[in-house]
Amino acid sequence: MALVNLNDVLSFTGNEEDSAFDDAKSSCMNFETSLNFKLPTFSIQNLSDVSDIATAPVDFLKQQMSNENNSRIAIKKGTTTLAFVFQGGVIIAVDSRATGGAYIADGGVKKVIEINPYLLGTMAGGAADCMYWERELGRRCRLYEFREKERITVSAASKLLCNIVYGYKGMGLSMGTMVTGWDKTGPGLYYVDSDGQRLKSDLFSVGSGSTYAYGVLDSLYDYNMSVEDAIELGTRAIYHAGHRDAYSGNTVNVYHMKKTGWEFIYNKDINELHYKYAAEAKPSTLS
Amino acid sequence: MARRYDSRTTIFSPEGRLYQVEYAMEAISHAGTCLGILSNEGIVLAAEKTVTSKLLEQINHEKVYRITDSMAVAVAGITSDANTLVNYSRNEAQKFLFTYNEHIPCEQLVQKLCDLKQGYTQYGGLRPYGVSFLYAGHDEHHGFQLYQSDPSGNYSGWKATCIGQNSSNAQGILKQDYKEGGMSLKEAKALAVKVLAKTMESTSLTSEKRRNFTFDFFTNYYFFEKVEFATLSLVGEKVVFHSYTVSEIDSLLKEENAQALQAEAQNST
Amino acid sequence: MEILFGFVGKDYALTASDNTAARSIVVQKRGEDKSRILSKHTLLSYNGEAGDTCQFSDYIAANIKLYEIKNGVALSTAACTKFTRRELANSLRSRNAYQVNLLISGSDPKTGVPSLFWLDHLASANKVNYTAHGYASYFILSTMDLYWHENLTLEEGLGLVKKCLKELKIRFIGNLPDFFIKVVDKNGIREIKL
Repeated sequence: MALVNLNDVLSFTGNEEDSAFDDAKSSCMNFETSLNFKLPTFSIQNLSDVSDIATAPVDFLKQQMSNENNSRIAIKKGTTTLAFVFQGGVIIAVDSRATGGAYIADGGVKKVIEINPYLLGTMAGGAADCMYWERELGRRCRLYEFREKERITVSAASKLLCNIVYGYKGMGLSMGTMVTGWDKTGPGLYYVDSDGQRLKSDLFSVGSGSTYAYGVLDSLYDYNMSVEDAIELGTRAIYHAGHRDAYSGNTVNVYHMKKTGWEFIYNKDINELHYKYAAEAKPSTLS
Repeated sequence: MARRYDSRTTIFSPEGRLYQVEYAMEAISHAGTCLGILSNEGIVLAAEKTVTSKLLEQINHEKVYRITDSMAVAVAGITSDANTLVNYSRNEAQKFLFTYNEHIPCEQLVQKLCDLKQGYTQYGGLRPYGVSFLYAGHDEHHGFQLYQSDPSGNYSGWKATCIGQNSSNAQGILKQDYKEGGMSLKEAKALAVKVLAKTMESTSLTSEKRRNFTFDFFTNYYFFEKVEFATLSLVGEKVVFHSYTVSEIDSLLKEENAQALQAEAQNST
Repeated sequence: MEILFGFVGKDYALTASDNTAARSIVVQKRGEDKSRILSKHTLLSYNGEAGDTCQFSDYIAANIKLYEIKNGVALSTAACTKFTRRELANSLRSRNAYQVNLLISGSDPKTGVPSLFWLDHLASANKVNYTAHGYASYFILSTMDLYWHENLTLEEGLGLVKKCLKELKIRFIGNLPDFFIKVVDKNGIREIKL
């Protein structure tokens, strides 16, 4: 009964003369109204209505992302990611929550993208955009190694990514990423976003929870801190962001970038961290 | 052997020569002489028009062209080719002015034109331009400058030089009479007249005759009608180009003639 | 909220630019130098849309450098400006125009005469004695109207910079802590710490 109802909702709009249509029909003749299951349809914008073909992808994306569209693409936007350079290399810490509006879609997302053994990228904004372009960056970096017979610098890799996304500016890409690594010049940390902005600094945080993370980082960061303290600081900053920002949370992933490449430190549950920190004494405000 | 390699511009002969380019240069060595002399106060351009028939109406300007406010060229070779290239140069000069709101530096314009000429010695199926140029110009970087270019796209800077018919003769005189480091525009003009007188129509005069009639035959042969004369000089800050009219050339030649005769008379006594 | 202003003095041109990189309400970096060296005697300072600024300035700087390498002489400050304006004007009629505001400051290497040019994102270009971009202009143009004259020594010029920065600190809501002060004169480009 439910199937029948569903069939009423869906409507098939194929051309009866079409031979593919005939094939489909003949292959499911034992059901009276099953054609819609064989060839399910959904409405998309007719591209022939678009006056300018160059803006077609932009218009398409706008339509697909609008609230009116019932098959709206939910893009993961809420996030907290951070990275900082210190005497022992670079610490990269991120949360693991994926949201679609107020809905928590996934609590175990890997937001650190392992580009190659010496390069990491973080993911904020569109998950697919970040994942795709950072994989593409990895491919280009490998080709660079073949050509130049040496590893690409973090500066060059981040510029490569920056130039790629700048070419798509205004066309709907959404990404805010930190490219980190270790090259012949030492540790490297760059911020690259889909505006085409590229910045070099010792400390960045990106995403909806970044302000909370900055609050913790700015007051406790010290370039000369030990590796243990740095890992703890990264974890703590993500914890506080996960605590305050509804769109961030679940778990913390921490990576450490060293001369020998990156190392995955751990994955910790923010809920457990909450009770652990609650049991500890507050740090002094007098230093 | 040469036959196999000289029909196309872009093919080297086994001896490593580009025959079409050489032929183009050959064509120029039959063209009317053009000479340029650099002085402290400006540049003189002088050119000989080849008169093919007594009945042909004389065009006033066919050898010296103005490119910008501060640049002029004299051409030797195929006039129609020259027209195309002059047009191109004027265009490039204006393009530069449009982009930078400043006059194009002389050498840059020479380079632009030479890049175009070079292209025809390398790319498919076309013949090279059969034109050599003398460029007279002034810019803020190097003051007055005189350049020469040929069909191969080579160019060079000169104090005094000559292209076209009898150019090696003319260059000999220039080398002898050019005063290093201190020539006035007037002296440069006199030298230009002298060189023209000694090189033009030289085939019809024996060396004996040439010495005796050096300046006299101007008037007899309506020589002034076969010469183009122009100067580029500074008046205050402004670069001034002056193209001589037929009567101006006539009086210039007469004046130089009288002075030369006087000098000759003094020498003999 | 970005601040960029400049003026010409007796024998130098000076520009002051904040050193903050911000996105929405977050400061992402301090110490960002928002300028490019076009030649020994010409400096381009910029602000505007993230991404566009760097891409456009790099493009202009590279082309002007290329000109210098190709032709053996550097373009004058005025020619750099004319070229930059043209590129910006061409981009303005394209699908995504560069949204950048610029100051081009320079000094004639032969005469030492300084010059300053103001260009906005609509490719309008003006030769000016003193100027400012963005919100800063509402606060400090009057200050410069009051104090500027054509014989400002460098010391007096730095005094004027201090007056401008002080006014911005007092009245501008987006008060920014640190600036790059760059001077172009006969000897080239240099940074000055206040």
